[in-house]
Amino acid sequence: MRWGMVIDLKRCIGCYGCQLACKAEHGTPPGVFFARVLKQEDGQYPTVRQLSLPVLCNHCEDAPCVAACPTGASFKWEDGIVDIDPDLCVGCRACMMACPYTNRYFNDQPQHYFPQGMTPYEEARTDRHQQNIVMKCNFCRDRVRAGKPPACVANCPTIARTFGDLDDPVSEVSMLIKERGGFTLHPELGTGPSVFYLPP
Amino acid sequence: MTEISAKYERLIQDLRQDFRPQREWGEGRGLFLVVGHFLVGVAAGAWLFGLLFAYQPGLIAGFLLAGAGGVAHLAFLGRPERFWKMARHFRTAWISRGFIGLTLFLVGAALYLPSLMIDDWMWGPASPLAGLGWLMAAAGMVVMIVYMGFVYSASKGIPFWNSPLHPVLYMAYAFRGGAAALLVEMAVFGAPGNDAIAMLLKIWIGITAVVIVLFALELQGALTGGNPAARRSVRQLLAGRLAAAFYGGTLLVGLIVPAVLVSGRIAPLGLGALAAIGLFSALGDFFMKYTTIRAGIYLPLQPRRAHG
Repeated sequence: MRWGMVIDLKRCIGCYGCQLACKAEHGTPPGVFFARVLKQEDGQYPTVRQLSLPVLCNHCEDAPCVAACPTGASFKWEDGIVDIDPDLCVGCRACMMACPYTNRYFNDQPQHYFPQGMTPYEEARTDRHQQNIVMKCNFCRDRVRAGKPPACVANCPTIARTFGDLDDPVSEVSMLIKERGGFTLHPELGTGPSVFYLPP
Repeated sequence: MTEISAKYERLIQDLRQDFRPQREWGEGRGLFLVVGHFLVGVAAGAWLFGLLFAYQPGLIAGFLLAGAGGVAHLAFLGRPERFWKMARHFRTAWISRGFIGLTLFLVGAALYLPSLMIDDWMWGPASPLAGLGWLMAAAGMVVMIVYMGFVYSASKGIPFWNSPLHPVLYMAYAFRGGAAALLVEMAVFGAPGNDAIAMLLKIWIGITAVVIVLFALELQGALTGGNPAARRSVRQLLAGRLAAAFYGGTLLVGLIVPAVLVSGRIAPLGLGALAAIGLFSALGDFFMKYTTIRAGIYLPLQPRRAHG
């Protein structure tokens, strides 16, 4: 069993729905993005196009962040999900330097979204997060264990994201990768990402 | 704009860039990491040359600098109260190995040094306990010299650091820092023998020459290695936001001023000049670490490339 995600760049419209769904699910403070969307403009007028690339933790098979972590706070579950044990993290940020996908964030300030202070919703959500440690996406492991897809997958309006078992050759994710030529980011590094992209 | 919101806005700006600079090591509290790595490097070098020259002030300086380096490391951590957990993952993590090395060194030096310095101490310098301390400190010193460069070269996200030359360069800088520390000490407290200062100066000159070659090779490798993020890092050093610190600190203070002093053209090569060489050299080493750490730029995640 190895959980993985396939993101269809042909379907992605860059609406940031995944980013918002993730924020709502995890209540991450400002400056912490488990999921985000990179945008870039390509070409010249009148043939300009906007490119969107949703990014998140790649849950690498050979995760450099896990190897670099001095305490074992960054670790891998048996189902391939790379996670952080908040009680073990010392906040050395070595994992942030090791991650070639820059999808780790240091939560170092008491932050809230509105000048009046924390809303009751934020208080309820941010209570889960320790300060002065590193945070990252864990493929919504609690949801996955409950049989639900990650929040970004469940809330994508164009169904650009598919979640499943990469070890199962007939799973939807495996079939999509095979049939549509799924690729990973920075394959030259040999990290073995579990997030694949389908070409537009 | 408050400090928090300014930091948030800067992060958002950084996330929009193709070439995102790393800010966690070297900015804000991250400066303590630079100070910690600088002090620990000098400490290990000072202990090494203290042993080679049988020079007690060198050993004492090594111990004190390592202690200060340890405190700086703690000040950098987000959760310093959990520091002892860093010993857990030594099989793969260089920070863990460094932590164990520093601990070994401090404990070993604390066992060995009092027996050397205090005549009626509980155990003598030839006792098994002092011998154990010597061994522990020596093992810790080796780890301290070696580990730092590997901490950076293991960072796959930052191509400028992810080079096989980086650990060698850091080792050379530890030797240079140690020689510089002993130059200052011998100028201030006196040398252990007639030839000691001359010999140490020759060692410092030799190591400095090696450092110059290694650093030039590293920059050249980053510029020609084909990685745009590594090239961007070198540009930051040579012509970007770090150029002033690089030219002024690393090159002028760390190399040119000591070289002029060694040549004896400004003043005769007396004890004062030797102390100045050591101080300028150490300051330059600090700037080298500061600028190369700050120059770290993450590998870009470009939609254009992903879209083909």
